[in-house]
Amino acid sequence: MIATQLNALASGLIQAEGKPVPNDGLGSTSLSPYFAPIYEVLIGGAATLIVFAALYKFAWPSIAGAMRARTERIQNDLDSSAAARSAAETEAAEIRKSLGDIEGERTRLFADADAQAETILEEGRARLAQEIEELEAKADSDMASAMGRGAEDLRADIARFSSQAIESSIHATLDDAKQQQLIESFIARVGAGTGASS
Amino acid sequence: MSDAQIQGYARALFEVARADGTLDEVEDELFRFARSYESSEELRNTLSDEQIPAEKRQAIIEDLLGGKATATTTQLVSMVVGSGKARDLPAIVDVLVKRASSAKQLDTAQVRTAVALTGDQEARLKAALENATGKSLNLKTIVDPSVVGGVVATVGDDVIDDSVRTRIDQLKARL
Repeated sequence: MIATQLNALASGLIQAEGKPVPNDGLGSTSLSPYFAPIYEVLIGGAATLIVFAALYKFAWPSIAGAMRARTERIQNDLDSSAAARSAAETEAAEIRKSLGDIEGERTRLFADADAQAETILEEGRARLAQEIEELEAKADSDMASAMGRGAEDLRADIARFSSQAIESSIHATLDDAKQQQLIESFIARVGAGTGASS
Repeated sequence: MSDAQIQGYARALFEVARADGTLDEVEDELFRFARSYESSEELRNTLSDEQIPAEKRQAIIEDLLGGKATATTTQLVSMVVGSGKARDLPAIVDVLVKRASSAKQLDTAQVRTAVALTGDQEARLKAALENATGKSLNLKTIVDPSVVGGVVATVGDDVIDDSVRTRIDQLKARL
């Protein structure tokens, strides 16, 4: 757009100098079908230089700033990525370490559990053996006691039945003659000074 | 009842019997009645029951002793029961017997047998006990079935025990 306007401006200046411009029917002022007239090239080049100078003067700082900002942003992103990667690697290392610790802890716990189970088993066996011994001793004692009680009961029963038998037998045999015999015997012994006393 | 009261009742009974001239009989009858009273729970409960009127209890005495004991004995027991002292009758009689024995310069010998002694046996037993103890004795005999057989004689604090009951008890103890 700017180049077209500069070309129109250059055409106006040429016409103002009074020189005829060949018309090729296509709007070109050049006589060569391949090259533009030199003054158009010069003016066009100057205009281009002016445009580039204007661009350098006014547009380049913002473009450069934007490029720097973009570079910084990209660099920051790269730094962040590197940091994130480092953090991830650190975390991965920690996780690996933790996994190792967990495995060790698991192994240790299993070992402790095995040891405790073995201890409990040993204690249980010992306690069981002791209880069996105590039960056997108690059973022996109970049996002996029961036998003793049985013997005592038997003796008591024998004594009771014997007492009853003695009393019944004596009452049955103590007739009047025996009573008189006992009385006469008492009189005789007391008279002789040999009576039982208490 | 206190000892003084028992002594007082015993002295009164003793004096009445002695004044009546029947001390030996009354003493013997009272002794036998006292032993019967001791051995019969029904008799004890009846004669010592203050819910029963005194006249009724005295009538029971008349029924029991009337015609079987001297009038003096019956009246004396009736007097003791009527005054509500039946519970202390054995103690009163024991004191009376001792007093009577003392009056005759005798010691009391109490003899328990399962069956009654004949007069001859009593005399020979008295002589045997006097010979054994060296004392003149006033013999009191008691028929006590719990003796089972043989004789238990008590003279003061001495006991001569040749009863079947004691032998049975000794045998049971050994068993």
